[in-house]
Amino acid sequence: MNKIEAIIKPFKLDDVKDILSEIGVHGMTISEVKGYGRQKGHKEIYRGAEYLVDFIPKIKIEIVVEADKTDKVVEAIIKVLNTGKIGDGKIFVFPVEEVIRVRTGERGKDAI
Amino acid sequence: MLVTNIKNKYEHASNMLRKKRERLISKFLNKKDPLFLEHNAGILDDYFRESFEKSEVGPMMGINKNPYAIFALGGYGREEQCIHSDVDLLFLFEKSVPDKTEDLIQEIIYPLWDIGLDVGHATRSIKECVSLSAKDPEVLTSVLDARFICGMSLLYSELMEQIRRKIINKRSDKIINRLVESNLKRHKHFGDSAYLLEPNIKEGQGGLRDYHTMLWVARIKYNIKQPRDLEYYGLLSYDEFKILSEALSFIWDVRNRLHYIAGRRCDQLYFEYQVKLADTLNLRKKNGLQQVETFLEKLHGQMEFVKQQYLMFIGEQTHTKKIQSSKKFNAQTKIYGLEVTRDMLCFISPEAILDSPDLLIKIFEESARLQASLSSEAKRLLKEFIYLIDDDFRNSSFALKSFERILLAPSTTVDVLNDMLSTGFLVQFIPEFKNIVNRIQFDEYHLYPVDRHSLLTVQTIKKFGTPDDKTGDQLCGNLYKELSGKKLLLWAALLHDIGKGEPTGGHSQRGAEIVNDILKKRGFKRSDTETITFLINEHLLLIKTATRRDLNDEGTAITCAGKIKDIERLIMLYLLTVSDSISTGSTAWNDWISVLLRNLFLNALSILKKGELATGEAVEIVEKKKEEILLSASSQQAKQELEQLFNVMSPRYLLYTSARDILEHIELYKSLGNSDSVWKVTRTSDSNTRAVTICAKDRPGLFSKIAGVFTLNSIDILDTQAYTWRNNIALDIFKVKPPLDQIFETERWAKAEDNLKSVLSDELNLTEALKEKMSAYRTFRPRATQRPNRIVVDNESSSFFTIIEVFTYDFPGLLFSITDALFRNGLDVWVSKIATKVDQVIDIFYVRDFDGQKVDSADQVAAIEKAIAEVLPGSA
Repeated sequence: MNKIEAIIKPFKLDDVKDILSEIGVHGMTISEVKGYGRQKGHKEIYRGAEYLVDFIPKIKIEIVVEADKTDKVVEAIIKVLNTGKIGDGKIFVFPVEEVIRVRTGERGKDAI
Repeated sequence: MLVTNIKNKYEHASNMLRKKRERLISKFLNKKDPLFLEHNAGILDDYFRESFEKSEVGPMMGINKNPYAIFALGGYGREEQCIHSDVDLLFLFEKSVPDKTEDLIQEIIYPLWDIGLDVGHATRSIKECVSLSAKDPEVLTSVLDARFICGMSLLYSELMEQIRRKIINKRSDKIINRLVESNLKRHKHFGDSAYLLEPNIKEGQGGLRDYHTMLWVARIKYNIKQPRDLEYYGLLSYDEFKILSEALSFIWDVRNRLHYIAGRRCDQLYFEYQVKLADTLNLRKKNGLQQVETFLEKLHGQMEFVKQQYLMFIGEQTHTKKIQSSKKFNAQTKIYGLEVTRDMLCFISPEAILDSPDLLIKIFEESARLQASLSSEAKRLLKEFIYLIDDDFRNSSFALKSFERILLAPSTTVDVLNDMLSTGFLVQFIPEFKNIVNRIQFDEYHLYPVDRHSLLTVQTIKKFGTPDDKTGDQLCGNLYKELSGKKLLLWAALLHDIGKGEPTGGHSQRGAEIVNDILKKRGFKRSDTETITFLINEHLLLIKTATRRDLNDEGTAITCAGKIKDIERLIMLYLLTVSDSISTGSTAWNDWISVLLRNLFLNALSILKKGELATGEAVEIVEKKKEEILLSASSQQAKQELEQLFNVMSPRYLLYTSARDILEHIELYKSLGNSDSVWKVTRTSDSNTRAVTICAKDRPGLFSKIAGVFTLNSIDILDTQAYTWRNNIALDIFKVKPPLDQIFETERWAKAEDNLKSVLSDELNLTEALKEKMSAYRTFRPRATQRPNRIVVDNESSSFFTIIEVFTYDFPGLLFSITDALFRNGLDVWVSKIATKVDQVIDIFYVRDFDGQKVDSADQVAAIEKAIAEVLPGSA
């Protein structure tokens, strides 16, 4: 099993949720995160006062999928996110040792 | 041994108790026992009396020589015994505590543990009890609640007499003060957002502790013997006591059910219990609300009443010179009919109100002006005479002006709006407000009921720029300070969620409609009504756009600005959005969201300031064009396709391109398919020039490649307009001089198009191919009287692009030279406008680097200027 973590622009959330639902992935965890990277924070000026923001608001999506579904899911996410411009985001894939559903005690891919 | 004997002996008694409890509880759950609390305490009393009588150890302790008694303390003492409440006992001895006491306790209490009751006990002599009470306020309050169960009854009066003489009479004010302070802390702690969604009905604001504190204070000050004395001693009016009892009755009902559902003592109404509890109560459902929402609304309302009673009561009881801080307060009111007594405002008499009902609103105005609270008497009188506010009052301009002064007044210590709400004035003055009073939204997002949230929104705005500003920076403060329409914004803030009183969705629109009626009736100016209803209608626009649209796309800001059209309105909308979010709860406001919102706001602001792209006129022009284009659609499906395309076209493109041209471009775009580019050449009306329209997949350097191909084919560029659509399609329109060969023109164009395709697929190296041609062009020398070239790199005018303007003289290959220079310096052209007038050229390029960012570092700007200057005529 693998965990797929995608850092995306906030307005892309619905698109990603839709595409995941389409390919049969229904559970995910979503957090609001702050991005610090090549994409510069904006320096806005109003009436001579500078409002420097050093981070870019992003959303992190985490999902766990079976190993053989990983590529398909990653491809689907990329298709929806890619605009060719900075800030499209990054995807990380991690191996997962175990998944447990607390209520029933199920383990492994049945617990996903 | 003794223990096992006892077990056998008292098993019967404790079993009896258990059975009685079960019967009582099931009677309660079937709603057939309004006196459950007393009965529950009663069966415990029976048990203790019985086991005391039957006690073996008891007689051995010589009650005549060393008198003792068993008391109930705390909640048990007050006869407020809930299903899983503790049982607190005091074994009190007149002189000293004998050793045998342990055995007595085992005898009586252990059997209770066996049936699962939580029994606590203290064993003290009167002397110990008094000294502990003097030291520990919690012991004192639990002893104040003591109730005699069995044993030597005169010990009760002895204990109470000593407590009163040695402790209370000496420092009642200090004790009360301490109680009030610890309650302040408690209120603050439990007013925290975590507790608003899952209220703690004992410790929370308006919880049972508030009521208990009232009882304790009354006992200390007036020595009341029973709760009803609150009314009998004149501390509460008949009505107040009645409503308070009903409220408490409901809260205890909830608490018992909570104990039952949780299976243990539990005072916090956790989420997982809320729905179940609501269902067991089976309240009559309000229109469109879930059962649980009706329940929470009622609970909230009852707790709110208890809280108000508590605050009023404590306010009155502690309002003496000794207790109040030594701050001198010389408030005076000049309004006839009002007076200030001990820093609190009141009416001079009920008759004064009848003579002049205007006082009903004037008192709030004075309260705001003097920052003096209303006395309890004033609040009582308000409630009594509120009926005097009729339509004449509501619609009078005097009342309106007064209300607006109150609305605008800074709120520091006294929360006048809250007082208006809790006394019922607000609802009487604006009846539509009634629908959102106590209205709870059952989700984890909204912390406050809608009425409170609305008042909070108003307050939050007024706090911008003050030390209580919740945004953490100066932007909102500065914006609010300079706002000329503060009044309008505050009206909008007060009424922005009034549409939530109706069960159907779409509360923004519905709210705007309701408010339109309200304002019209009261004679508001038309322009003011329009502004306020606009704000209410669109109060979710900014937050929705910021979270659902690409903020890096200029089109987002243009579209958003286009909906608002006016700078002052944009600023008001922004301030409303920020305060609305802050007043909703922490999930709605944090620095993540604040950055997104501010970004959008500043972008939209800059668009509106530059004018042209998002003015009312611009919006109208685009709308008309769209309508015209839609007319050409033959089917519903075709219409939908066009609508989709409109979303993809950039707002700049739509504004500056004619409807007829747009239609042509759409055809061109459709023919693009999977190829890299497609172009169309048409003759213009004067047939001296040609229009070449190119639709291609955008990529860095595209523009320079096209320019290069024209140069390669000796085609002179006169004017250009270049746009980039949101789906990364470049739409470039060139006005050119036709190739000199008029006979084989079509072939020349075909060759040029071929060239372009080869260049784009990297088969043809443009720089190489142009080498010869370009070296010939570079020998061009400007005339001596010509003006110098000018290059301006502007990073201020747009939030999205770096704008480069080049003023120079035309020469063949100029456009290619410049755009090639841009490309080689890592710049991507998004929008461009080139115009030639005789031999003068003005080139404007809106660029970003290959990462999609503006180029604003000083080094980069210098490098660009240098690179362009090198290729301009006169530089060689």
